[in-house]
Amino acid sequence: MQDSILMKVLNVSKDYKMGEVTVNALQGATFELYEGEFVVILGPSGSGKSTLLNILGGMDLPSEGKVIIKNEEINKYNDRKLTAYRRDKVGFVFQFYNLMANLTAKENVELATEMCKEALNIDEVMNEVELGERKDHFPSQMSGGEQQRVAIARAVAKNPLLLLCDEPTGALDYKTGLLILSLLHKINRQFNKTVVIITHNMAIGDMADRVIKMRSGRIVEIKENENPIPPERIEW
Amino acid sequence: MKKLDVRLLRMVKHSKGQFISVTVIVAVALCIYILFSITSINIQNAVDHYYSTTNMNDMVIELMRVPQVAVDDLKSIQGISAVQGRVSVDVPLQVADKDEKVNIRVVSLPKNGGIINKLYTVAGIRAELGDDNVILLEQFANARNIKIDEIITPYINGRTHDLKVSGIAASSEYIYVMENDQSLLPALDKFGVAYVTEAFAQSVFGYKGSFNEVLIKVDDQSNIEDIIDLLEKKLDKYGLKRITKLEDQLSNNVLVQKIDGIEMMSSVLPVMFLMVAAIIISIMLSRIVNNDRMAIGVLKALGYGNLSVLSHYTKYAMAIGLAGSVTGITGGVLLSKPMSEVFVSFFNIPLSGIQIEYSYILNAIILTSLFCVGSGLFGARGILRIMPADSMRPEAPKTGKRILLERITFLWRYVPFSWKMVIRNIFRNKRRFAFLVLGLALAYGINVVPLYMTHSMVSMFELQYGEYQKMDYTVNFAQPLNKGIITDLSRLIEAKKIEPRLEYPFELANGWRKKSVSIIGVPQQTAFYKFEDKDNNLVKLPDKGIFITEAIAKLLNVKEGEEIVVKSFLPGKEDVSLRVTSIVKQYLGANAYMNIETMQALLLDKQMITGVSVASEDNLKEKLKDVKNISAVSSIGDIKQSFVDYLDTMNLAIGFYMLFGGILGFALIYNATIISISERTMEFAALRIMGFDKKDIYGMISKENSLTALIAIIVGIPLGASMINGMSESFSSEMITFPAALSPKFFLQAAVATIIFVIIAQLATLKKIYNLNFIDALKSRIS
Repeated sequence: MQDSILMKVLNVSKDYKMGEVTVNALQGATFELYEGEFVVILGPSGSGKSTLLNILGGMDLPSEGKVIIKNEEINKYNDRKLTAYRRDKVGFVFQFYNLMANLTAKENVELATEMCKEALNIDEVMNEVELGERKDHFPSQMSGGEQQRVAIARAVAKNPLLLLCDEPTGALDYKTGLLILSLLHKINRQFNKTVVIITHNMAIGDMADRVIKMRSGRIVEIKENENPIPPERIEW
Repeated sequence: MKKLDVRLLRMVKHSKGQFISVTVIVAVALCIYILFSITSINIQNAVDHYYSTTNMNDMVIELMRVPQVAVDDLKSIQGISAVQGRVSVDVPLQVADKDEKVNIRVVSLPKNGGIINKLYTVAGIRAELGDDNVILLEQFANARNIKIDEIITPYINGRTHDLKVSGIAASSEYIYVMENDQSLLPALDKFGVAYVTEAFAQSVFGYKGSFNEVLIKVDDQSNIEDIIDLLEKKLDKYGLKRITKLEDQLSNNVLVQKIDGIEMMSSVLPVMFLMVAAIIISIMLSRIVNNDRMAIGVLKALGYGNLSVLSHYTKYAMAIGLAGSVTGITGGVLLSKPMSEVFVSFFNIPLSGIQIEYSYILNAIILTSLFCVGSGLFGARGILRIMPADSMRPEAPKTGKRILLERITFLWRYVPFSWKMVIRNIFRNKRRFAFLVLGLALAYGINVVPLYMTHSMVSMFELQYGEYQKMDYTVNFAQPLNKGIITDLSRLIEAKKIEPRLEYPFELANGWRKKSVSIIGVPQQTAFYKFEDKDNNLVKLPDKGIFITEAIAKLLNVKEGEEIVVKSFLPGKEDVSLRVTSIVKQYLGANAYMNIETMQALLLDKQMITGVSVASEDNLKEKLKDVKNISAVSSIGDIKQSFVDYLDTMNLAIGFYMLFGGILGFALIYNATIISISERTMEFAALRIMGFDKKDIYGMISKENSLTALIAIIVGIPLGASMINGMSESFSSEMITFPAALSPKFFLQAAVATIIFVIIAQLATLKKIYNLNFIDALKSRIS
């Protein structure tokens, strides 16, 4: 499955200026992402994993280094191109779901697909995330797990190359967390989407094809899982 | 519908109180704009149409006496298209109540009704005019409820004439019926016009084969000054008194001012309203954007570009503009018909049809779009700064800083703790605070102006008739008399004092600038007239020299101490050069004043007077009604009464103004409070948990609002003062000078009104604070 490279990250660094202090949030990160792969980026808070995710997703630009996706250097993109990249190539899932409070579940998904050229059928996606019945509810009428499933549907329905998930289970209880992980796993396998999850939860690493470990802004280990375990069997 | 637009609609629904309050402001602005623009056009059209149907004169010439042949001769002057002579004399009218003084102007009509200033009649005229009947001016007939076939009884040259009313008609010369330029207001039941045959007028007034007025119609308005010069030369020998162009004729002049006033209303108020709306919109949007920070980040993460997100939020402002435009323009268009009708019927002119000028609607839409889109973009510009990655992290708390006041430790020490918090909160967002203060100050200014208008009308009146002219009556003679007449008069009436008075029209000139005005001669030691210069210093009439009013000084571009030329219309009189020894105040009318003896000696004849001023508790009108040679007796008491009546009708207009100011103040405070509550939900929740109760929090917001209102009022005082100056400048004319007198009273009254509206707005937000669920607020932020 590691035949075709989706994305190359070459020596990427990111510095933030906070007042008079410069924070080196990310230093010299280099790795590749393959098509259809399930990757978990592991690290404690402050390890630079969110910064990395933001750069992969075109939400932020690196201070140094290259990010190449399908022969395009997105680190050279201007604001307009970055927006187009986020729109067409990337799906995001956030820790706190970040749904639009005043749109229903289905409308939240439509909000994302409206401007995509190759969006999937929304009703099918809603059924995949098992929200066919709840699609006309507002976020405030849904549980955390349901909201996260809407967020996943929103990300998937765009039919992106890459699904980036920032602590997708961080705000959920154990059982719901497992359901969400299964769903992401299913999407990875069924739609052949590259899924990247960032988390501080080591246990989640067991389900990944590869695990990238980070500490203090650096990648400390990249480990391939010969036998990833199904998400249902993960425990923490 | 696009999902972003669905979101927008729900956003509007969620904040409907705020949305409606701003929409109302926009709607009121556009309604005023459309309503007054269309109304002024319609009135103008109606007037033009009326003038052309009745063939309104281009000028009126007043003379001592001009024979028919000389009048006919004027037709040969190139550029003059029509000429019509007439006799016009003011006489008292006998009415049932002996204490009531009514004057009537008897005007002659040529046989077939004439070709210039034709009367306008709906009902038709019953009978041919003869020696015993008249056609009465419609407004006067209506005001006194005089019907066709009733008899009116004027005194003419010492005897009464019973004249039957055979027709009631309107005249383009009396759209606005005022007796003379000293009258502030029309008193429709006290002054009227009766049209009679030429033969009758010439015989009773002693103008056999001649006239004392000539109406002129010209081919081309641009030649009018040349024609006037020619007429002056030609008519000099007939005792030319003055030539008045249409634009200076009293009725037309007032009419033009009224139309200008409506036009001004149509531009100034709406712009002020839209400014306040723009302020609220930009504050509202910047708060919405701030609250939606995370949602904006998500939208950007989803791939929405800056432009689409910015336009999403700007559409909120556009929705306000759209809703406001639709209601405002519809309201304005719908109201413009009844409004035009009211005005037109008030002026007693036929409506020539309602015209909806579509360009105004277009203007309104452009203006609103500019304001709304501009303020929307300005308010929502924070979107551009939001990076999707940053927005996912909770916002750093606002930097708490010491404010300037805190550095003044000896003052700050005495500020109670609860107020310290309030003051810091206010200064936390300086720009918003500045906007809020500016908006409220504008609302306050809008409240100040009508109060000033009433106050200044009253004070103008009191000054004019309580200070500057203190007589009880002025008596005018039918023709100039020897001052010996005063002795005769004092035998007829019981008077505390009688002063001679000489009023005569002259042309005042300074280089090429000239103006026809009446010079009034009064005794140097006058007890009735008081003159004040612009710095309120008392000035005495000089031995030789002339006083002119501010309006004339401005017109002639003359300063104190400079000389002007006084040109007489009388035959054989030389031009006289006089020094302007003082420029004096006069609020009603525009005159020049001289020492009566100098005036007699230099300009007219020794001993000659044209009237007297009288201090008396006697009923002069009654006593002098049979006296020969008296053309008019006017009582200051009557003028005062009609003014008081008029003020009552002003109250409605003032109420409207106050309401407008109130709506602005309400919308500002209501929105600002809602915004402040929603922004600080977390903070209030924390306070609640610490043990503050709802009342404490409400009290805190009330304190913030009252402090803001207080500062706004302080800022509003100079703002209101400059608005007043602008108003008095634009409403002042040659006829009326508005004193820009600033009295603390109406600034206080306006402050009270503003505070009331602030309190109402504050109460309207009460529920929001009481319904605040502080437990929810402390849960994680979900946008």
